[in-house]
Order: sequence, then C-alpha cells, then structure tokens
Amino acid sequence: MKILVIIPCYNEEENLERVVARLQKEAPQVDFLIVNDCSTDSSAAICKANGWRFLDLPSNLGIGGGVQSGYQYAVENDYDITVQMDGDGQHDPAYLEAVLAPVIAGELDMAVGSRFITKEGFQTSFMRRLGIRIISATIRLVCGAKVRDVTSGFRACGKKLTAFYARSYAQDYPEPEAIVSAVLNGYRVGEVPVVMQERMGGVSSINLLRSAYYMIKVPLALLVYRLSIRRKAARK
Amino acid sequence: MDKLQIALIIGSVLYLAVIFWLLKKNKMSIRYSLLWLASGAVMLLFACFPYLAKVLRAITGVQVVSNLIFLLAIVFMLIILLSLTSALSALVDKVKRLTQANALLEERVRRLEKQQQD
Repeated sequence: MKILVIIPCYNEEENLERVVARLQKEAPQVDFLIVNDCSTDSSAAICKANGWRFLDLPSNLGIGGGVQSGYQYAVENDYDITVQMDGDGQHDPAYLEAVLAPVIAGELDMAVGSRFITKEGFQTSFMRRLGIRIISATIRLVCGAKVRDVTSGFRACGKKLTAFYARSYAQDYPEPEAIVSAVLNGYRVGEVPVVMQERMGGVSSINLLRSAYYMIKVPLALLVYRLSIRRKAARK
Repeated sequence: MDKLQIALIIGSVLYLAVIFWLLKKNKMSIRYSLLWLASGAVMLLFACFPYLAKVLRAITGVQVVSNLIFLLAIVFMLIILLSLTSALSALVDKVKRLTQANALLEERVRRLEKQQQD
C-alpha cells in the first residue's frame, strides 16, 4: 500500500527538519511530499539540500491550493492513501497509524485526527476552541457529520476521496469546508483521537482578532456553500 | 438645445470614445466592453432625447427624472461590479490551476534530471 504524507509549508524553516526527522523515525515506510507555498524564507533551500520530495509553488496559493496540489501529486503517482500533516510540528507522526487505521480498514474515506476526544495535549486558546465549537455545530447542521476538531489539518484520505480533492478542494476555509464537501458528495468522514503539540518555532498565522473574525465568517461561508450544492447519494 | 444638453452629449460621446480607444489598443477585451458600451449608449440616448427620460419617468412612476437617471446609473454599476467579481473569481481559479500544474511539472523535471545524472 502506497502512502503519501503531504506537508504544507509556508515559512517553516525552523520546524521543517525536526518534523521530517520525526516522521522518518516514526514511519520510515511512508513517502512524504512537502508543498512549499512560495515561502519567503529558506524552506525551499532546506528541501533541496536534503534531497526531499517537494513541490515548489511559484505563487502563494494559501493552504487550500497548496494541499490540493499535493492531492494532485498523489493521483499522478498512484498513491492509495494520502495524509495531511502540518509543517509546524503540531502533529505528532506517532499518531500517523491512528489516523491511517480506519482508512486502511475501509471504514472511513477520511479520518480526521482530533485533539478533543481524549482532551490530552495542546488544546489551543479559549477563543479558538469557541470558534471550533461554533464551526463544528454548523457542520453538523449543514451535513449531519459529527466532527469536533474541524480545523485539524491532520487527516488521512482514501484513494477515491484523494481523487475528488485533486479535482475540487475548498480554497477559502479549506479544513472545515473540505469536511462538508466530502460528506455532501457521499464520502464517510469520522474522527480519531490524537494528541497535538504546541507549534515548535515560528509564528502561527492565527491571533485573537483573526479567530473572532474566523468564527463568524466560516459558519456563514459553510451555510452559503450548503445552499449552493446538492447532496449526493452515499458511495459504495 | 440648452447648454446642459450639449455638455451631456459631449460627455457621453467622450465616454464612448474612451471605451473604443481602449478596445482598439487591446486594453479591454470585447467581452467586458459590452456592458460599458451599453451604458454609454443609454447615456447618449438620454442626452440626445431628454423626452425619453420623461416618458420613462411617467411609466415607472418615479417622482423626479433625475432620480430615475441615478437609479439607472446605479443599476448599471451594480451589474458591472457583479460581472467583474465573477470574472475575477474565474481568473483566480485559472491562476491556481496553472500554479499547481507548473509546480507538478517542475517537480517532475527535477526528478528526471536527477535520474539522468545518476
């Protein structure tokens, strides 16, 4: 079984080598692909110097467009399962097996790694948790899926869903919207417990004002998105 | 013909001339010029025959002619803005696809070059 770990990266020169070292130690059997979303730091140079497999986007697309190019790579190179994992060290490769298991077993088309099931490890700020709750409730409302850690970028996808994402992947608020689009197109989405860490170095792109803005904007976007598409029958 | 009417006619003709000039210089595609040309044509029509505006006012029941003109102008602008947003969204999608295809090709070239070296 060919497995590809997609690591989106924007200005992660401080974390990249540690993240990859940990991944190679925990899961030497999987391939990984770094998607450098036009970083302004030395991320690309680090990838090149280490001889890693990486995509070098010539312009900044944001996380949605970046991850989608990873899915396109997976389709072109015939991978069976793709895993998304952040490049900032929040996601511990030790839990790779946990997110992979339900997809390998064929129980789910996408397994999202959730930090809110066992409530261990890094739980993020109160404001962000509140926002995540609101978005989670909205997702339940628009498509019925019960996902708690909706912004988690630690997720495994089966082959069919990978092909679907390669064709169409949410761009504006990719993590929550991708869940909704998968469910409405008949894919099975579920959660598995993982423990997350606080990012190792660098600066997160999310602050207080942004998270307040985010928790109003995203539910609205999801509602509009729901109104604009039709639910498709479940896939076998 | 009073002064105002002459000024309005000259203004609309200039406006249309600018659009045609942009078209000629290839600085505007014909697709997007149609709405602008239509707005210019309507402006010119009203400037030449103010009577038309009065008739339209009577039909629609708007109280003052100038309000009707403003309403028309705003409606035109809204339609043009909508068409611009839609064009922009399509463009963003195209640029995204191009960027992704380019990155995938670049990776492939890099891999093939490395294979050749080995």
